[in-house]
Amino acid sequence: MLPEARAETAVSLAFHICFAVFGVGLPWLMLYVEDRAIRTGDPVWMGLARKWARAFAVLFAVGAVSGTVLSFEFGLLWPAFLGTYGGVLSLPFTLEAFAFLAEAVFLGLYLYGWKRLRPRTHWWTGVPVAIAGTFSALFIVTANAWMNVPTGIKERNGKVVSAEPLAPLTGPNAAPESLHMLIAALMCTGGVVASIYAIGMLRGRRDSYHRRGFAVGLVAVLVCAPLQLVIGDWSARVVEAKQPAKFAALEGLGHSQTHAPVTIGGYYDAKSGKLVDGLRIPDGLSILGHFNPSAKIRGLNVAAPQNRTPFITQVHLSFDLMVGVGTALIGLSALVALVAIRDRRRLGVWRLRHGKWWLRAAALTGPGAMAAMLAGWMVTELGRQPWIVYGRMRVSQAVTSSTDVGWWLGGTILLYCALAVALILILRRMATGGPVTTQPQPELVKVS
Amino acid sequence: MSATGILIVIILALSAYLVLGGADFGGGIWDLLAYGRTADDQRTLISRSIGPVWEANHVWLILALVATFSGFPQVYEEIGRGLAVPVAFALIGIVLRGAAYVYKSYGDGAAGPDHLWGRVFAVASAVTPYMLGVAAAGLATGRLDKGAGLLADPFAALTGGLALASTAFLAAVYLCHDAAKSAPGLVPIFRRRALGGAIVAGALALALLPSLPSGLDNHLGRAAPFIGISAAAGVATLILLWRREFRAARATAALAVATILWGWAAAQYPAIIIGHLTVDSASATPATLRATFAVLVAGLVLLAPGILYLFRVFSRTEP
Ligand code: HDD
Ligand code: HEM
Ligand code: HEM
Repeated sequence: MLPEARAETAVSLAFHICFAVFGVGLPWLMLYVEDRAIRTGDPVWMGLARKWARAFAVLFAVGAVSGTVLSFEFGLLWPAFLGTYGGVLSLPFTLEAFAFLAEAVFLGLYLYGWKRLRPRTHWWTGVPVAIAGTFSALFIVTANAWMNVPTGIKERNGKVVSAEPLAPLTGPNAAPESLHMLIAALMCTGGVVASIYAIGMLRGRRDSYHRRGFAVGLVAVLVCAPLQLVIGDWSARVVEAKQPAKFAALEGLGHSQTHAPVTIGGYYDAKSGKLVDGLRIPDGLSILGHFNPSAKIRGLNVAAPQNRTPFITQVHLSFDLMVGVGTALIGLSALVALVAIRDRRRLGVWRLRHGKWWLRAAALTGPGAMAAMLAGWMVTELGRQPWIVYGRMRVSQAVTSSTDVGWWLGGTILLYCALAVALILILRRMATGGPVTTQPQPELVKVS
Repeated sequence: MSATGILIVIILALSAYLVLGGADFGGGIWDLLAYGRTADDQRTLISRSIGPVWEANHVWLILALVATFSGFPQVYEEIGRGLAVPVAFALIGIVLRGAAYVYKSYGDGAAGPDHLWGRVFAVASAVTPYMLGVAAAGLATGRLDKGAGLLADPFAALTGGLALASTAFLAAVYLCHDAAKSAPGLVPIFRRRALGGAIVAGALALALLPSLPSGLDNHLGRAAPFIGISAAAGVATLILLWRREFRAARATAALAVATILWGWAAAQYPAIIIGHLTVDSASATPATLRATFAVLVAGLVLLAPGILYLFRVFSRTEP
């Protein structure tokens, strides 16, 4: 059952997260463009606001239903996990539920209130949506952070006898992990928006509608990129301190050593306890963990063999993918900033370049950020194996005894593929449809 | 103390889900059953009435779930083990209903014809309340080990049918009100359906009483006042519908349905899953219970104005 249950968890979380990131990031961008629309009265800004709201309605709905699947599924697939530790995670999840409630209530006002509310009032109904979306990401990730570094509980005979309610929110990795995810969500949203308009412009639609949508998205992803490096680095040092075996798995370090290297690419060779066939950067890992090239890094041998993740190569390559994309985006960020500053000296105004190669690079930011985000989750989740709650409960102890999980998995994959294909078709129609100007309100159905 | 408080919040959240979210599912059932010359208009009315609030209505379920596994983690564990089959079907229904609704509303036919998604929406709307009703039977009987067998259980079929009929009834009453405002021609149709729904739901509720499993009937005395209120509210709804006072009928209809849930809860308290877990045996640690209860109350108080504002804005007619 275990492989199926894992695959089911991974599929349904990955599906959910691909929509949830827009639930976190898009409201902020919508607030920005609608504010510009209200200030300038410019229909182009309003067109963007309307269009993004329509896309958001669809994305949010799919996020909401796939999230509902998750909350049931944790009980269905990992009953012993929730039965034992559900209470410990009560605070993040309860706060999370209220964030959803706030988000859904104000989203109703936002999506359907264009005509009923005055423009500024309408804008204000978007503010709680954005704040609640952000907090929902922070809260849920603290639950995951607690699974990685469980603190503040006492157990007797497999039953939790006392738990500090605040522990998941105040754990050592709660802040870096949840902030990292928040920035990731903003980067994914900005990147995908930039990609969509960049592709539109490459196809010749170079009107001000596309240029502005492009600029908003691109600035969002490129401003966040350097920030993400700082938080990712913080995250890495907390992992080094609290989950040494996971940190060792990042770079396939079989044995503790000083001057530990970073390797780009390659795969783990269990015999030698090293990564082979990769590009080696001497001292890299010691610097990442301690800012000190000669620091000693603990290897996988700090954990007993049965407590090590069996997925070392996957963890390592996922980590490389994430950091690779992060670095590339920082490079693009620096380049765009330099050119923009020079252009500004010349022209006196801020302008983004719209040449073919700039647009092509921008078109890659969306898929890149999404891939990095999913890879980051692989790092966290695969690196924690074989534990569901690090050091306390193994996935094999938590898993359901039901034999139907295979069916459930096949069904989920089919259903989600169908929904995803339909959604992409709809979003593509929206993206190529141009601004919403003639359509005053997101119309539900063609009213007779 | 906190444990019972959390249980009350769970019941209240489920009641809100039943009378608000349930009516959205009920709308889908009438979409499925729409016929005649005005079928398209009926569907349009249904779609519009669901529009602005379905997300908010849906979140009550999430709140109930989260409160359950925070306050009573073992109940969640037992549900995950014993009620997987009906819950899985309900989930498929929830996913398809929500997705199909937005695909139909915003898709412009880009992903297949709107009426196809309309069908999916309608069928999924009927599956979900039925399966949730079946799962409820599992809690009330303690027959958790039966897995798929619960689907063939006559008592579960009755509770599933009652859930289906109640949501359809609620939706029809609410739709009378909406139709009176924006599409008067449809009022007689939904009025007939509301009356019919009331009679079917009432009959199913009566049929349930003699077949109650042991464990529920010991405390029937506690449930009696709720059953009485439910019956009275049901009759009042019939009268109000007859007299075309739809605004008031909405309230009595919601009361009639919610009190069934309350009566059930009262009859089986302190058991949460009959024969398996009670409020005491299933509850989390005291500090967790206190914190959860405090957050639940504070959150509800904080969000109440927003929820009221939502309903107020959308009860005004469109400018
Ligand atoms: C746009 C996405 C994105 C980008 C560009 C980066 N990350 Fe990341 N990373 C994530 C998206 C992400 C994530 C999806 O948000 C994860 C998964 C779990 C989490 O909290 O964040 C994550 C996890 C994660 C972890 C594991 C934390 C844990 O297991 O507790 C580490 C060590 C890093 N990241 C480090 C980095 C570094 C050094 C980066 C340098 C540029 C970086 N990340 C860029
Ligand atoms: C959203 C992006 C996420 C992705 C792509 C993801 C990916 C994965 C993958 C690949 C596994 C399987 C690990 C294995 O093969 O053993 C897994 C397991 C799991 N994940 Fe995540 N995960 C994500 C987020 C989360 C979050 C936010 C939580 C909790 C709040 C979580 C909790 C779990 C649990 C409980 C399991 C099963 C037990 C385990 O294998 O550790 N995951 N996830
Ligand atoms: C990193 C991980 C996660 C993030 C950032 C996240 C974020 C979000 C966001 C923003 C929404 C609002 C819907 C949307 O806009 O798409 C949402 C919905 C939801 N999520 Fe997640 N989520 C994550 C993981 C999870 C997990 C692990 C669970 C379950 C245990 C979960 C349960 C839900 C539920 C139940 C909803 C529906 C709420 C509603 O109806 O509005 N999420 N999530």
